[in-house]
Amino acid sequence: MDVLRVEGLKAFYIVESAGEQRAVKAVNDVSLSVRENEVLGIAGESGCGKSTLLKSLLGNIRPPLRHMGGKVTYLQGEREVDILSLGKEERQKLMWQHISYVPQGSLSVLNPVRRIGDTFRSFVGAHLEIKKEPGRFESLVKRHLEDLGLPVDTLKAYPHQLSGGMRQRVTIALATILKPRLILADEPSTALDVVVQRGVIQLLRDIQTEQRNTIVMVTHDMAIHANISDRVAIMYAGRIIEEAPVEQIFMKPLHPYTQYLIGSLPRIGDKSHRISAPGAPPSLVSLPPGCAFHPRCPQAKPICRQEIPALSLAAKEHRVACFLAAKEDADVDSTEAAGSR
Amino acid sequence: MPFLKRYLLPRIVQYLVVIFIGGTLVFIIPRLMPVDPVQQTLQRITIQGAFLDPRAIEQIRETLLELYGLKGSLMEQYFALWHRLLRGDFGPSYVQFPTPVMTLIKISLPWTVGLLVTTTVLSWTVGNILGGIAAYYSHRRWAQLMENVAMVIRPIPYYIIALALLLLLAYAVPIFPVTGGFSIGRSFVLSWGLVLDILKHAFLPALSLAIVGTATWFMTMRLLVSNLLAEDYIVYAQIAGVQDGEILYNYAIRNAMLPQVTGLTLSLGQIFGGALITETVFSYPGLGTLLYSSINSGDYNLMMGITLLSVVAIATGVLIMDLIYPFLDPRIRYE
Repeated sequence: MDVLRVEGLKAFYIVESAGEQRAVKAVNDVSLSVRENEVLGIAGESGCGKSTLLKSLLGNIRPPLRHMGGKVTYLQGEREVDILSLGKEERQKLMWQHISYVPQGSLSVLNPVRRIGDTFRSFVGAHLEIKKEPGRFESLVKRHLEDLGLPVDTLKAYPHQLSGGMRQRVTIALATILKPRLILADEPSTALDVVVQRGVIQLLRDIQTEQRNTIVMVTHDMAIHANISDRVAIMYAGRIIEEAPVEQIFMKPLHPYTQYLIGSLPRIGDKSHRISAPGAPPSLVSLPPGCAFHPRCPQAKPICRQEIPALSLAAKEHRVACFLAAKEDADVDSTEAAGSR
Repeated sequence: MPFLKRYLLPRIVQYLVVIFIGGTLVFIIPRLMPVDPVQQTLQRITIQGAFLDPRAIEQIRETLLELYGLKGSLMEQYFALWHRLLRGDFGPSYVQFPTPVMTLIKISLPWTVGLLVTTTVLSWTVGNILGGIAAYYSHRRWAQLMENVAMVIRPIPYYIIALALLLLLAYAVPIFPVTGGFSIGRSFVLSWGLVLDILKHAFLPALSLAIVGTATWFMTMRLLVSNLLAEDYIVYAQIAGVQDGEILYNYAIRNAMLPQVTGLTLSLGQIFGGALITETVFSYPGLGTLLYSSINSGDYNLMMGITLLSVVAIATGVLIMDLIYPFLDPRIRYE
């Protein structure tokens, strides 16, 4: 069952310079669906539109970002809600109890002049009636922190008194206290060292096992995807170019970009030289015609320069937006189909 | 006690150094002015036409130098100054000789403090609250209207506003008295009539200061809060559905308050220098008027007294600020 469905979503940053309007096409015709109780990873290099996609999923679209088309539909119980067409109040009601968010950069997301406990109080107080029931908030927070294995004393601390890893755990605790069905996480472990990263990712995974919710995890770090994601979608220049179960992405990437991405990862015992994609990602203001990757693609064909490849099924649960791969895979598909028969 | 040694002690030393330097400057600067107080007094005597024997004039000059504390080399005068100051004695006023400077200040101080503490606190409070609200709801029409009004008022020099108010409310429509702090000849027995009289006289000076003060605090607060609105912790709280009132008060204003509180303590310290121009325009019997007349007549002691009072008040304000700041901003610790 799909708990979140994105259809043809377009979100552009409209910037004006010297009287000329230009559109930065950060999210350009993205469609994807997220199933209940899975971890969907979204990967891609800096500036490919990952964070903007997440902002749009949260309905947090404010100038200069603008919604240019498409729908973001959440399944809440039996009801389907398009978050981008909701009013502010209704969207706020949906937040934290149904959809929650773990942001990037945990130092700057906590109010520096208030204690952690006060931040919990204002976040919980926005959704639950806690003023009339003394003790309800205290016991809720205490139980939640204990469940996550965080010291209750943290509530008395100010953000700057905590370590980076602790702060990130606190934001995760803050995001999950109302047991949301969906957690959207934006680079939750990026600013941390590897050892702490592991703890933070483990914490998210434990919460997911415990609360049985769905996670959409945005990070450029493929190791984290290998660790936690069930499926991975690769973004390039504002579009999803490949989407497959995590083993498929690592073992049998189809898009040339994904192949470079996976090929550049270090492997234990393999000392051969790693090759990354040549060149740099295109500017989102003036995208090349056709497939946005063609200027960097060694196998580019004439059609790649003219038409934008659609994201189409290449194998079971494996979608890719590439003229080369789709063709190759039609064969693979038929042989696979023949083999299974 | 690490608190005493590492936090309080350095600040008290700094406090004393500031006052010492202030006192020294206050000693030097008036002596660089082209006005000689002894010459001024002599002129006042001779201008009345009395013939004086040059020897007598010389004698009077000697006596005056002695009385004014201007005898001896600059060094000797300087040490004599600190000797007096440490006993809390600013010396006699030259113009209103032999009234001590302290007495003159004591007469003027309540007028200035009453006027300026009220207007400063009032305009600070109103300006900050309105500025915060206007920044948070900056897309609303009423917020933009408030901003435009403040933007027009703020750059107007306050003596222009003072003059405009005088013309309007004291001359054209004479509701308020033109000058002074009280009706001439009124006896100072505490009564409702006296209070009303004083309030009536203080109203226009207060209004002119409050208008500009409010607009200034409004503009700074609006700028501070509108910069804060892009901060991650505010955006995060908004995404999480925290109510606007809570974000405005506990997130935006709480953080924007930090520099504003510093501004308030400094302004409160500055009160002890008087509101020179406003008080002069309204002939208000405060420290500003006193300072103005002391500069005109080369009254070193009075000038020094008022200026030094102001130096001490601002330095004290900064010291108090340093001591309470860690309570306002948890990131600063007593170290």
